[in-house]
Amino acid sequence: MPKILLVEDNEMNRDMLSRRLVRKGYEVALAMDGLEGVAMATAGGYDLILMDMSLPEIDGWEATRRVRTAESGTRVPIIALTAHAMSGDREKAMAAGCDDYDTKPVELDRLLGKIEALLGKQA
Amino acid sequence: MSGLTTPEAVAELRHELRTPLNLIIGYCEMLLEDATDAGSRAALEETLAAGRDVLDRINAAVPPSRGEISEADFAALRNALREPQERIFSATSSLLAQAGAAIDPQVERDIRRVRSAAERLLTVELPQGGGATHVAITVEYPTHDPAAAGPAVQSAHVLVVDDQEDNRAVLERRLRRQGHTVECAPGGRTALDMLDRQRFDVVLLDVLMPDLDGLAVLERIKANPATRDIPVIMISALDDVASVVRCIERGAEDHLPKPFDPVLLRARISASLEKKRLRDIELEYLREVGRVIQAATAVEAGTYEGGALAQVAQRDDELGRLARVFDAMANKVKDRETRLRDQVNALRREIKEAKGATREATPREASHLPTGELFAGRFEILEEIGSGGMGMVYRALDRELGGQVAIKTLRPELVQDASLVERFKTEIRLARQISDKHVVRTHDFGEKDGVYFLTMEYVEGITVRELLDTRGKLGVAPTLAIASQLAHSLVVAHEQGVIHRDIKPQNLLLDASGVLKVMDFGVARLADQSSQLTEVGLLVGTPAYMAPEQMLGESFDERIDLYAMGVVLFECLTGRLPFIASSPVALIAKLMMEKPPAPMELNAEVPSAVSALVLRLLAKEPGQRPASAAELVRLLSDLG
Repeated sequence: MPKILLVEDNEMNRDMLSRRLVRKGYEVALAMDGLEGVAMATAGGYDLILMDMSLPEIDGWEATRRVRTAESGTRVPIIALTAHAMSGDREKAMAAGCDDYDTKPVELDRLLGKIEALLGKQA
Repeated sequence: MSGLTTPEAVAELRHELRTPLNLIIGYCEMLLEDATDAGSRAALEETLAAGRDVLDRINAAVPPSRGEISEADFAALRNALREPQERIFSATSSLLAQAGAAIDPQVERDIRRVRSAAERLLTVELPQGGGATHVAITVEYPTHDPAAAGPAVQSAHVLVVDDQEDNRAVLERRLRRQGHTVECAPGGRTALDMLDRQRFDVVLLDVLMPDLDGLAVLERIKANPATRDIPVIMISALDDVASVVRCIERGAEDHLPKPFDPVLLRARISASLEKKRLRDIELEYLREVGRVIQAATAVEAGTYEGGALAQVAQRDDELGRLARVFDAMANKVKDRETRLRDQVNALRREIKEAKGATREATPREASHLPTGELFAGRFEILEEIGSGGMGMVYRALDRELGGQVAIKTLRPELVQDASLVERFKTEIRLARQISDKHVVRTHDFGEKDGVYFLTMEYVEGITVRELLDTRGKLGVAPTLAIASQLAHSLVVAHEQGVIHRDIKPQNLLLDASGVLKVMDFGVARLADQSSQLTEVGLLVGTPAYMAPEQMLGESFDERIDLYAMGVVLFECLTGRLPFIASSPVALIAKLMMEKPPAPMELNAEVPSAVSALVLRLLAKEPGQRPASAAELVRLLSDLG
């Protein structure tokens, strides 16, 4: 069962998205801010990370950079999630080291497609 | 003018509008996956459709490329959203009514979340009034947001400084809810007054204020030692990155963007408090490390008072343990040093008393310095500790650097020729570079009111001359101990190109712990070059320790130091000089013609190998002596 780390500060967003992913057969771990996300990600054991970009403590871009810096060997795919507030969000996410990007409100099928594509690529 | 005028502010608005939509659509889709009865499905489909409708309208009104939005545009969007929002309220109401009491608690909670997200959408507002530079969007989060409620990790007394009343009100309410106590100031001057009178843990400071802006207030807080350590969090609009950077450069701890996100507010405040707490701990730690270092310096200077580390020793961490161990060790060292010093002092007193009469009779030198007076503006002359061919030696207190030094004044006759003084300075510069525990450190060469003087490390101890004078001769073991330390010091000096030229028992000091220290490296150079060398009474050094080549004024090298050392060792072992003569001329004759007796013949305790080595050092031909001080060190270590 692929294991996903969801980094999201909004409690309801976290609840909603994690439950939907569990329903689709993923195991989901939760981090509530950027620092926690980096700590959990670098501890390892995840097949993919969903990273909200607007996070307290350190934002998703910074968290992604830190995960990438700490990584050695395997590179865990990271999908950035943003409210698509600004044009340029996608480029910023990719530049920080994300592998893909999706917007909120989440279209689950589209997001699942991206998750599966990245997990397939990895396997 | 009102509305949003920067891309960042519009982005923030999009974020605020789209976040509730994410919840409405997400929860609805999930609820639909579980819904089995047709009525529920229809109501959920309706809610989902209304949510997507809202999203379309938001995207149309505020596309990501949009850099600004007017108040009129926003009002139009609010109007357009009202209809789909109503649909969400009525559909979710009917869902809750249909389900009734038998409803699954989680399903009910999810439906309520959809409703509350739709409500939140209604509360998104543009700032009312205020200038265009003040962009603030007030978004009230539902009170059950876990991040906004509950006691704070650390409760703090917070000062909120903002010229806008609604901003102050929002912050005050949020902070109180998070468990802090709050005072508000409507402007910079009031804030500074309040900071004078009250102790705050954190200051939230608006950047843009009419009378005294945030930057100016920050600078005054940081310039005042009483308020310098209070963390200051700047409040700024999202588009005002430049001022935030300026503030952080001037010591602001953090910044808080408008609109105020309760999670962020809580995180920043607790992070600032935590950082301050850690900094305070670190500062205290460093202060105590400083005390330990101070104590170590005091031990070195011999001024350590037991118990000076009592406070640090109370810590229950590693530093506390270090302080306890250090204190115990320092006290032991102090006891031992006191004991040794007492012994040496007793010996010194004995020697002084024996020589008392002669010292009284010594005529005052031209370069005599009165004790108790300040010499060269910084040296307090404590006592006269010797006189010799070069001049007088004093013990003095260096007022500038602290600690004691020895000052050696030079006879005026020795320093008459300016070019000689220059060459002497070169020699002293070389000698000053010798850093070795067996070499008395030379500090400086100077002149004050016509008196030339050298300052050097002051060593509390007695000279080998004094030892020989009181004891006659030394045993074999002490002599070898002196020999190996002296040879070592010569290795170091010769490597630096410095020949001592005047090795004799008067220049060999034994400090309180028995370590040999050689004085006056390079100093003899002055006398050596002086044309007045041969004048009676000015002969520097004792001819008895001079190698034949030095005595005859031939060219010589560092092996003259080895010869002089041979004489010193001879004297230590036998209690007499190798050649005994009634006049300098007779001495020169013997030095040139006669072989010295073997030390073992004069003292049966001297082993033959030691005796032979001393004779080798006393060889008239430099080539027959050990080739260097380094070789001598090896030969001595072979003796065991």
